[in-house]
Amino acid sequence: MDMGTANQSHQEWLKEMEAASRAKQTSFIDGISAKLRRPMVTEPPRHPFRGAPDFWNAYEWGEQERIDRFTANFLSVGGHVERLATMEDAQRFITDKANELSAKYIVRQNQPELEALNLEGALPDAQVSVWNSDPEQFWKARAAEADIGVVIADYAAAYTGSITVLSSKDKGRSVSLLPTVLMAIIPVERLKTRLGEIMVHFDEGGRASLPAGIHFISGPSRSADIENDLTIGVHGPGVVYALIVG
Amino acid sequence: MKVSLFVTCLSDAIYPRVSEAMVRLLARYGVEVSFPKVQTCCGQPAFNSGYWDDARTTAKTIIEAFDDCDFVIAPSGSCTYMIHHYPKLFEDDKVLHEKAIKLQNKSYEFTQFLIHVLGVSDVGATFPHKVTYHPSCHGSRLLGIQDEPHALMSKVKGLEFVPLPFAEDCCGFGGTFAIKMSEISGAMVSEKVDHVKETEAEVLVGLDMACLMNIAGNLRYRNEPVRVMHLAELLYEGVKQA
Amino acid sequence: MSGASGHSKGSSVKDRADLALNNEFLRKAVKYTTEKLKGGKLKAMEEHGNWEEWRERGKQIRLHTIAHLDYYLNLFVDNARANGVHVHFANTAEEAVHISLSIAERKNAKSVVKSKSMVTEELHLNHALESIGVEPVETDLGEYIIQLAGETPSHIIIPAIHKNRYQIADLLSADAGETLEPDTKVLAGYVRKKLREKFLEADIGMTGCNFAIAETGSMVLFENEGNARMVTTVPETQITLMGMERIIPSWADLEVMATLLPRSATGQKLTVYMSGITGPRRSEDADGPEEMHIIIVDNGRSLQLGDPEFQELLNCIRCGACLNACPVYRHIGGHAYGGTYSGPIGAVLTPSLQKNIAEWDDIANASSLCGACYEACPVKIPLHEMLVYLRRRKVEAGHGNKLESAGMIGFSKIMSNSARFKAILKLGKMGQKLVARNGEIRLKVGPLKGWNSHRVTPSLPKKSFRDQWGTMEAEIRNGLQEMAPDMKNRMEQIVKNREKGGGNGHGHS
Repeated sequence: MDMGTANQSHQEWLKEMEAASRAKQTSFIDGISAKLRRPMVTEPPRHPFRGAPDFWNAYEWGEQERIDRFTANFLSVGGHVERLATMEDAQRFITDKANELSAKYIVRQNQPELEALNLEGALPDAQVSVWNSDPEQFWKARAAEADIGVVIADYAAAYTGSITVLSSKDKGRSVSLLPTVLMAIIPVERLKTRLGEIMVHFDEGGRASLPAGIHFISGPSRSADIENDLTIGVHGPGVVYALIVG
Repeated sequence: MKVSLFVTCLSDAIYPRVSEAMVRLLARYGVEVSFPKVQTCCGQPAFNSGYWDDARTTAKTIIEAFDDCDFVIAPSGSCTYMIHHYPKLFEDDKVLHEKAIKLQNKSYEFTQFLIHVLGVSDVGATFPHKVTYHPSCHGSRLLGIQDEPHALMSKVKGLEFVPLPFAEDCCGFGGTFAIKMSEISGAMVSEKVDHVKETEAEVLVGLDMACLMNIAGNLRYRNEPVRVMHLAELLYEGVKQA
Repeated sequence: MSGASGHSKGSSVKDRADLALNNEFLRKAVKYTTEKLKGGKLKAMEEHGNWEEWRERGKQIRLHTIAHLDYYLNLFVDNARANGVHVHFANTAEEAVHISLSIAERKNAKSVVKSKSMVTEELHLNHALESIGVEPVETDLGEYIIQLAGETPSHIIIPAIHKNRYQIADLLSADAGETLEPDTKVLAGYVRKKLREKFLEADIGMTGCNFAIAETGSMVLFENEGNARMVTTVPETQITLMGMERIIPSWADLEVMATLLPRSATGQKLTVYMSGITGPRRSEDADGPEEMHIIIVDNGRSLQLGDPEFQELLNCIRCGACLNACPVYRHIGGHAYGGTYSGPIGAVLTPSLQKNIAEWDDIANASSLCGACYEACPVKIPLHEMLVYLRRRKVEAGHGNKLESAGMIGFSKIMSNSARFKAILKLGKMGQKLVARNGEIRLKVGPLKGWNSHRVTPSLPKKSFRDQWGTMEAEIRNGLQEMAPDMKNRMEQIVKNREKGGGNGHGHS
């Protein structure tokens, strides 16, 4: 079959499915309203319990405490944390680690801050690829074969020891997922106290502002599925460095 | 001020000494306890097994037995909590529903009555033994008895308290559960007794004779010499000794 | 092999439980893990603080959402569609399976990589996929093990809780075609390598859904291994199966769920990965699925809507805390419950989803009603009460046990009349003369057989309390003290407050 027509017929099929789904939606939701014994609610209901309790929303730590708590939490789950003053320090740390691990393949997000690190120049023996910089590449495979993935956190939360990364054309979801080692740079001003300080951006920005993937990462991949014995690095990166910079 | 004893069928039939200790202990504070003889069982076996019509029949007997008193006291957190189900049982009967709420509001488990109504925590008892305590599930989780027994025990001279490991675990009684699911129930009570043995206590106390009968039954089955008592018995014995 | 692994063995909960109780390893393994998880939860609760406030908040958010489920579900669907998601509705398991298979067929799929989803277990979707020649691959480590063993999960969070490392090494060695050491690192390392290939070659990634955010049309997954991220990042097509009650209004509400769920499940502050996925990849993105489907599944859930006794079941966030707290689960493991969901939540949910109370013969009886499940539940579902409602409905529907029904009629006859109660006690005392020795009964026959296999029964004393009351009362009255005035005042005050309409302040109502 010609791929063009196959694709077209698939699009048509999806349209048919959508029409069926919209028809079904009416009866499905009507059924719920009927079970709830009232007409369908179409106006936003008052939600007096939205989000965390008030006392929590007022909870905030100072910068040093955020750093200390993030560090303690991240270490306790088997992650590594480095406190670095400048991006130059970050560059040194990453190159030293890459040399120490004899990393052959490195993949990084396509961001100016990372470009400025000039990892390509600093690591002449390694192949450093820049996410989605060449549309001909199969980027998921590039990330899968990488020893190290380098990303910049969009946010971080100290209370849970979490790094938040958002996807985009230049920021692959695979970069923080497929390599063996993950290096995440956290500009210190992006380190918040609570998860709620991060979530609020998604509520305020609304649907259209959200990327396809928002990922909270709180340490190396792990499992306790065999006799409750903790194993690190099951599917995601087994070694995760959080580099707090600034 | 009329205080009535809800003896509970288990204490009436098998453990009269428990209610006797409770009544005699309260008499020392001038609490004159009456015993409405028309009372029988709280109805819990039928209620928990799903036979609510049968539970209603007995619940009605209890509601009427205690209709005219100001306080109801019972040597059981579980039977006291059963009374909290009465309003739901009589949802469709306005008169009984109201009476059920009244009964619920005036019903107290023994330690609650001592601490919260009489304001007594030191009964002046002496009991020079190593004691551990099993908090029965309905009394602690549902009725909310937490510190009351500890407040009472901590004032008993000579009593050495040893915490029971995994105290909050159910002993496996569960009424008809012990008969219907006898193997699971047996495994649960055996585990409870293992924990009691770990404490090396001479005495196990509790606030519910059903659970204590279950645990004592397994202790006896295994020929373990731990003495099992209701806290009312312990306190009364300790008062007599002092 | 676990003696209680298959559902076919043993026809009732009691039979399956007895099998499990005779399986020393199973009991030890389940006990060890549940105790560890329970301990982790208690520690996390204490460390976090204000747990009751959070729990209450979680409950209120869930109550609010379910009470307005029509509104929020519509909102979610509109937003998800706007994000480019293909949304489908399935009233029944069959419909959900049909839609899933249609997509797989359209995509000419050869294999589907799956991350842990209890809904797909409900639907028996793996079998359905196999039946059309599509290979389903479970990618959660525990689920992969269970799939190799041809079993079903026995715990919501730890699917292979009933297997030890030797059994797992055997299964994985057979899969690998070489002998693997029974070492966790080695075994997990093998699965990582094996599944890497599967992820990269799979046509479809299939997931469940922990929460769906109505206001942005996002779906949220909690996990530790990274397999759910793999499944939603690598294959070209994503299919998400979502129970229709998984909705929460906003990301702000997600913070509350993210606070309650991991702490209650494993004692973690947050799972290693929490992913919010909002539609398929944007056209310029280089990873993520090109096509994304969300199938919204009812499959019995709406039976609880509008039912005041069971609606709160829909609040469940599937954390497994009630399993870990349950003394019965700890002794018999998950398979003894005989359904997709086990433990206290399973004992209520399974019959409720299926509405065939009669068939789920004794599942609701497999509880001592101790209330540990309610206490552990992060959204305060009164499971212990629901178990009693189920038992009642079974009796009301005429499915009660005949002998028990007769017994209960006898019970209420005796217990509604104190004279009859007294007469029965007298009969009992006469009857026990033959069997009681030194105040004990050890005989293992008749109704005492099960009880006396683990215990000794006390015999009835010579005189019941009511027999002794006459003399006792006279004696007490003789030596009665005058009540202290402050005590008397207290009592009068309590009675007065009660009349004013205040509660008694002792015990929950």
